[in-house]
Amino acid sequence: MRATDSQGSFLNRISIRRNQVVSMEGNHEQELEDLDLFQKYVADRFSNLLAPSDETPVSGAAAGAGDGGSLLSIAWLRKLLDAFLCCEAEFKAVLVMGRDPSQVSKPPLDRLVPELLDRVVKSLDICNAVTHGVEAVRHFQKLAEIAVSALGQRPIGDGQVRRAKKALSSLIAAMAVEDRDSVGGKSTERAWSFGRRGAGAASAKDRSSGQFRSLLWGMAKGWSSAKQLQAMSSNLVAPRGAESSGLAQPVYIMSTVVILVMWALVAAIPCQERTGLLTHFPVPRQFAWAQPMIGLQEKIAEEWKKKEKRGSSGLLDEMQRLEKLGNSLIEFADSFQFPAEPERLEEVAAQVAELAETCRKMEEGLVPLQRQIREVFHKIVRTRTEVLDVLDQAGKLSTPTM
Amino acid sequence: MEDCKSAISNPEGKQHMMAAALHLTKALVASDYLTDDLKKILTDLDSHLSAMGVIVESKGGEFFEFEQRLKHAEEKVASWKPNQLMVCNSGPIEASETFKVVDEIHTLMESLRNLAADESGKPMELLQRAESLLQTVMSRLEEELVHILHQHKQYFEPQYMSFRSFRSDVAYDESFVSVEEEPLDEASRRNSNGDESEDHLVDLVHPQVIPHLKSIANLMFASNYAQELCQAFVRARKEALDEYWDSLSMDTFTIEDVLKMEGKSLNYEMKRWIWIMKILIRVYLPSEKRLCDQILGESGSFSPHCFVETSKASMLYLLNFGEAVVMGAHEPDKLFRLLDMYEVLADLLLDIDHLLLEEAGSVNRIEFHKLLAKLGDFSRATFAEFRCAIASKTSNTPFPGGSIHHMTKYVMNYIKTLAEYVDTLNVLLKDQVSEDPSSVFELENSQEGGSSATSCPTACHLRSIASTLESNLNNRAKLYKDVALQNVFLMNNINYIVQKVKSSKLGLLLGDVWIREHMAKVQQHATGYERNSWSFAVSLLRSHDGSSLPKAIFKERSRSFSVTFEEVYRNQTAWYIPDPQLRAELQISISNKVIQAYRSFTGRNSNDEKHIKYTADDLESFLLDLFEGSPRSLQNFRRR
Repeated sequence: MRATDSQGSFLNRISIRRNQVVSMEGNHEQELEDLDLFQKYVADRFSNLLAPSDETPVSGAAAGAGDGGSLLSIAWLRKLLDAFLCCEAEFKAVLVMGRDPSQVSKPPLDRLVPELLDRVVKSLDICNAVTHGVEAVRHFQKLAEIAVSALGQRPIGDGQVRRAKKALSSLIAAMAVEDRDSVGGKSTERAWSFGRRGAGAASAKDRSSGQFRSLLWGMAKGWSSAKQLQAMSSNLVAPRGAESSGLAQPVYIMSTVVILVMWALVAAIPCQERTGLLTHFPVPRQFAWAQPMIGLQEKIAEEWKKKEKRGSSGLLDEMQRLEKLGNSLIEFADSFQFPAEPERLEEVAAQVAELAETCRKMEEGLVPLQRQIREVFHKIVRTRTEVLDVLDQAGKLSTPTM
Repeated sequence: MEDCKSAISNPEGKQHMMAAALHLTKALVASDYLTDDLKKILTDLDSHLSAMGVIVESKGGEFFEFEQRLKHAEEKVASWKPNQLMVCNSGPIEASETFKVVDEIHTLMESLRNLAADESGKPMELLQRAESLLQTVMSRLEEELVHILHQHKQYFEPQYMSFRSFRSDVAYDESFVSVEEEPLDEASRRNSNGDESEDHLVDLVHPQVIPHLKSIANLMFASNYAQELCQAFVRARKEALDEYWDSLSMDTFTIEDVLKMEGKSLNYEMKRWIWIMKILIRVYLPSEKRLCDQILGESGSFSPHCFVETSKASMLYLLNFGEAVVMGAHEPDKLFRLLDMYEVLADLLLDIDHLLLEEAGSVNRIEFHKLLAKLGDFSRATFAEFRCAIASKTSNTPFPGGSIHHMTKYVMNYIKTLAEYVDTLNVLLKDQVSEDPSSVFELENSQEGGSSATSCPTACHLRSIASTLESNLNNRAKLYKDVALQNVFLMNNINYIVQKVKSSKLGLLLGDVWIREHMAKVQQHATGYERNSWSFAVSLLRSHDGSSLPKAIFKERSRSFSVTFEEVYRNQTAWYIPDPQLRAELQISISNKVIQAYRSFTGRNSNDEKHIKYTADDLESFLLDLFEGSPRSLQNFRRR
């Protein structure tokens, strides 16, 4: 589902109308209607994401790609990003298209819009951190694939079992490191370096099992995704009174969307410094549009809390599967003796099939996900530029630094 | 699953068939109702079938030979000490023990696979042992690969473009307020890092170990361990790149960091980016690609895949820094670094295309192309902002002494530097409409011989900027109440502009016509100054018929002249003409007009000397005090 598919009606209507009105003020009713449409649109988009997917958590082979995938699966994240792209386009239509710049430069927008832009810049860095995280997930996938091909041999012998175990142990360890680093292990070294410290002294053995180091690469030292999200949401206040019927409302909605989407990405995918990731940010319940988002937030937060308790790696559905299957297959490998019992073999074959299916989904989904994150990145950059242009025209922001 | 079974059942079926054929053949040969010829054919067939490794014996102990060979291999592997290198340092690769062992395991496995009919027999047991041994060896080889990659990695000092020699000029870290006239050497900087980086492939791993690495890779490929090989290889090489990045003291910044950076640091980091781009794209990454090819090149698409995986993160960082830069404000002070970034990326784009030729790298390849376009747009917008900045800089207070305004210096030094980027600017400004004040230029220049330099887009834009500057100066001039000071101010500034143009590449771009026109303007203002400043004084000295004046009138005029002169002296010693030549010329010109008139005035009336306060020679020397920028007065003047 492409972002552009679903914008037709609403976007066009707004732009046509704007052209007719030539951004005269006093068309308040029209404006109210636009805002109303925007809210409905956002609510619809997020209800779709909340809709329970019938896909069962295990036996993935049968599920196909599904069209949405289960919550926090790669397919679901892609749907989430689609929703983001659409809302973002609608928002731009509401805030920028054909608008008289002076409207955006008046209070309270003169404060709210720069605040939004600040959040937007932070979300760009999150996009980049998540891109690196997806890279780490691809690494997990590659390790799982080794196990799949080793355990796919018939008959399963000691050599192949050891081979699979080696790959799976690396996988589990790498996930743990990724998570420890991102959930705030003591590691003080730069997180994008995978183990500079002691690399020189490390023995060949340590290095060959080098999966025990973080793979994250690219963000500045000390950068923390949790802190970024904290900063993005700390000054977010819902519009009150007369403001809530004006442009302050969509700006607030868009801010919430940005935060929610970035937060979901960070929760799902290994990301630099997730310690203290928010599990709750204030979305007032009185807004109808906020309901689906509140629902999503609660679901994901619940998962996150479970994860923190269990100490498992990421919330990404596929990663959780890799972890579960990996651990189970390692157990199998530990007790393996040739020839294996047929019942046990059957069980393992089913697990390997699921692992293979998960790998297939990852193979199909991760690169497009990465591209989509990049698309989000570029869209955000472009909208920011357009908003800055409007502000610039309004002449209120002589030197925009953010 | 279904596939799997049929895959197993096929070779099984073949084996049974072969076994039957062999059995039949042997029986036929042993029988005696065949002709000798037929027997011979069958004997040949027998040995053929046997040679295929299909030994079908049913009695135990027949696999003794295999077991012995396997045992031998196992012992060998067991005897390897934990930290001993297996492939490296052991003479010719093909003769190395490891190579032989792996070869032996392969042979054994192949034979045993053909024999292992069911999961319980002896051949199957031996096959399992062989596979297990192979896993052990592969694991060791993987370790060894990583170890060698680590031990023998090499870095290169980016000497030929060390960052320090990459001049940290302070060109436009300053803004409008405080620009001193520093020699900028922008031109020499630009030439010093031109084309010297051609063909700078370096060895990132010691060449001596390449054959060893390659044979490890080949052994792993041959044993179906390509996945492990790529994982280990990419990991080791990523780590090496990471360390190299660190050894160059490259910091990493988030987009937020870059946007918050103040001008000076940003300028510095932009230069670092240019520097690291050259090193990575020209030297390091091509060398990395060659290394991948050397070691993995014989094995399908693994080499480009591993290269892309290794280089991806660093490329993404370089892209993101560029994206962050073009997200900032269009501050004119950034323009040169922006153009540098544009130029270096434009220059490296072919190399990038070449590095990321394969599908795996196409995303980043396209991103770099887009970034170039963005840098171009951003540079253009910044350039436009520069003109706006000139036009919008206004003031309410006149500039002291009518001297050369900071802005004039700033703008001229700025566009003088811009002229060095003429080729790039021509590309960027190609379709931009300039407000060239004098479209006649094209015409006149074409008459001059149609020099293309004066009609290129950059030239048009620069003339337009010069005229924006002039009109700004005209507005500033109006702040002086004294019209003569307006003249001096404009004379000073336009003269400065002309001198800058004549002494640099700007001359070629703006053209002779432009220069002549502006020199004429300087002259006009000089003349204007003399008229506005001295015409009254000179009028006092005039006589209609050349005869001497009546005493009273002479006395009055002489007094008036002195007062006027004193006034001019008091004012104009405070004015400042920094250009000594311009100052001298003006003084001479005044002398020619005023002092000459004064001489004849006093000469004609020489009998009234007591009314003459100053001699011509006095005045002559007073004139030298004008335009020195230090106010003086003649109040305490005493005749010598």
